[in-house]
Amino acid sequence: MEQANPLHPDGESKGGVLAHLERLETQMSKSRKQSEEPQSVQAQEGALGTKIHKLRHLRDELRAAVQHRQASVKASTANVEPNLAVEMNEQEVLEEKLENVKAVLQAYRFTGLSGKLTSRGVCVCINTAFEGNLLDSYFVDLVIQKPLRIHHHSVPVFIPLEEIAAKYLQTNIQHFLFSLCEYLNAYSGRKYQADRLQSDFAALLTGPLQRNPLCNLLSFTYKLDPGSQSFPFCARLLYKDLTATLPTDVTVTYQGVEALSTSWEEQRASHETLFCMKPLHQVFASFARKGEKLDMSLVS
Amino acid sequence: MDETVAEFIKRTILKIPMNELITILKAWDFLSENQLQTINFRQRKESVVQHLVWLCEEKQASVNDAALLDIIYTQFHQHQKIWDVFQMSKEPGEDVDLFDMKQFKNSFKKILQRALKNVTVSFRETEENAVWIRIAWGTQYTKPNQYKPTYVVYYSQTPYAFTSSRLRRNAPLLGQALTVASKHHQIVKMDLRSRYLDSLKAIVFKQYNQIFESHNSTTPLQERNLGLDVNMDSRIIHENIVEKERVQQITQETFGDYPQPQLEFAQYKLETKFKSDLNGSILAEREEPLRCLIKFSSPHLLEALKSLAPAGIADAPLSPLLTCIPNKRMNYFKIRDK
Repeated sequence: MEQANPLHPDGESKGGVLAHLERLETQMSKSRKQSEEPQSVQAQEGALGTKIHKLRHLRDELRAAVQHRQASVKASTANVEPNLAVEMNEQEVLEEKLENVKAVLQAYRFTGLSGKLTSRGVCVCINTAFEGNLLDSYFVDLVIQKPLRIHHHSVPVFIPLEEIAAKYLQTNIQHFLFSLCEYLNAYSGRKYQADRLQSDFAALLTGPLQRNPLCNLLSFTYKLDPGSQSFPFCARLLYKDLTATLPTDVTVTYQGVEALSTSWEEQRASHETLFCMKPLHQVFASFARKGEKLDMSLVS
Repeated sequence: MDETVAEFIKRTILKIPMNELITILKAWDFLSENQLQTINFRQRKESVVQHLVWLCEEKQASVNDAALLDIIYTQFHQHQKIWDVFQMSKEPGEDVDLFDMKQFKNSFKKILQRALKNVTVSFRETEENAVWIRIAWGTQYTKPNQYKPTYVVYYSQTPYAFTSSRLRRNAPLLGQALTVASKHHQIVKMDLRSRYLDSLKAIVFKQYNQIFESHNSTTPLQERNLGLDVNMDSRIIHENIVEKERVQQITQETFGDYPQPQLEFAQYKLETKFKSDLNGSILAEREEPLRCLIKFSSPHLLEALKSLAPAGIADAPLSPLLTCIPNKRMNYFKIRDK
């Protein structure tokens, strides 16, 4: 405590004394406060301390709760996630399978015999081929009833469909289909040979190719060497077996007036054999190659 | 060149409409390009015809050349004739048909010439394996009449031939010539007749439905069009939509989704007893059958029949007598009581 200055006069100390008393008062109140603060501070400290404790406790509880939840969620998702993943995969797998099956069904045509179910039965598709070349397709729409019948078809009118149906359709449908396939494939093959002859070897033909709808009678005149003066050979190919692509009867004749020399006669006979054994266009391909060889020999 | 041939060529060319003239002359291939170019086709038709006949005389056209021109004209104007259908048959167990066109033509011509002496027979092959035959008939003593020929369209390696114009006198001879030349045994006239050769062919060869389901078709089967306006306000509901759908389905099953072959008429000769619900009707209870001829005519009969039920004019399903026409390959029916 500050000591009052005794040297100050009263008047001055009035101001001085009252002021001094004021000062003393304020000092006292300050010191009181100061003495109070540590108490409140302590109290406050204590309060805060407990609050901190409480909050820490709460925090720990919450942390524990969160961890617990996370653990349980993980545990449950560990069970759930594989299922969801499987579902997604299953759907994709099914779609892939569907696309696969569709592609396989489309590719079935390469087997030559395929079909699709219809509301009344089945529509069979026969894809013909010859020497690895895919040729025309033909359809037969069957109604599955008793008796089995053909609803409509795209088989050419000169193929004996009614005959084959009369023989096999009711008793053995497999035989019916295979027999029809035989006829159609053979027809396609013969047609292919005739078309190839007309288009690729026109240079060796000396007249138009005579053919009929079934391509089972072919008649033409040809020369091995188009430039030569010799008379052409005349060939007549008969295909009596409608399920075959090679002729059953071949006659090669010479149109000239004079008799053939032995070499020409040998050639004529060999041609007859060739036409019986190999497809028409292949025989002509070998003629063309021989012609090239001859040319080469002339050059050298 | 014979006067009659010149006259025949002139009359044939006169029949040809101007807008088809050049095409037909080119198909005939008797006059060369150069010769055709000398003609002014913008003149009056009579002058063009005169010029053409003169060119033909120069080139000495024969009656066969003229007949060929007539065939080509008829091929362009098939619908002007009514075509009958004949079906031939073989004995069972016959050899495979090795059809030779040359042999057929020779054989056909020989049979007619042996029988009649005076007959003009001409052939023209087409790309669909068919041969058009033109026959101008004469007798032992008269020259062939070039103005009333018969046409036959024969599809080789099939039993079917189509003929124009009703023959009386020469029908059996024609039948015999066709049968023998094509190596068949019998010939029978089918109950099918029309102006539209293509439709007859489609019906006889059963080629009128060429719609097939397959896994490879790129165009999906078309959604059935109910015939109702799709753009119609959705607030409008058809009261009888169930019935409409039923009719549509039956029509689709009977007639299919393909274009119908074209026929102009169907004729039903009834020889049946009259059936009536009313008692005491004059026509009922007669022992004799009622003879009656019913003829349906239309520019396109089958399409008209197809539209009957959807239009509400007839009940669906239609009578099988009407719907069996393409399937049975008949449009002339004789109906008797069983």
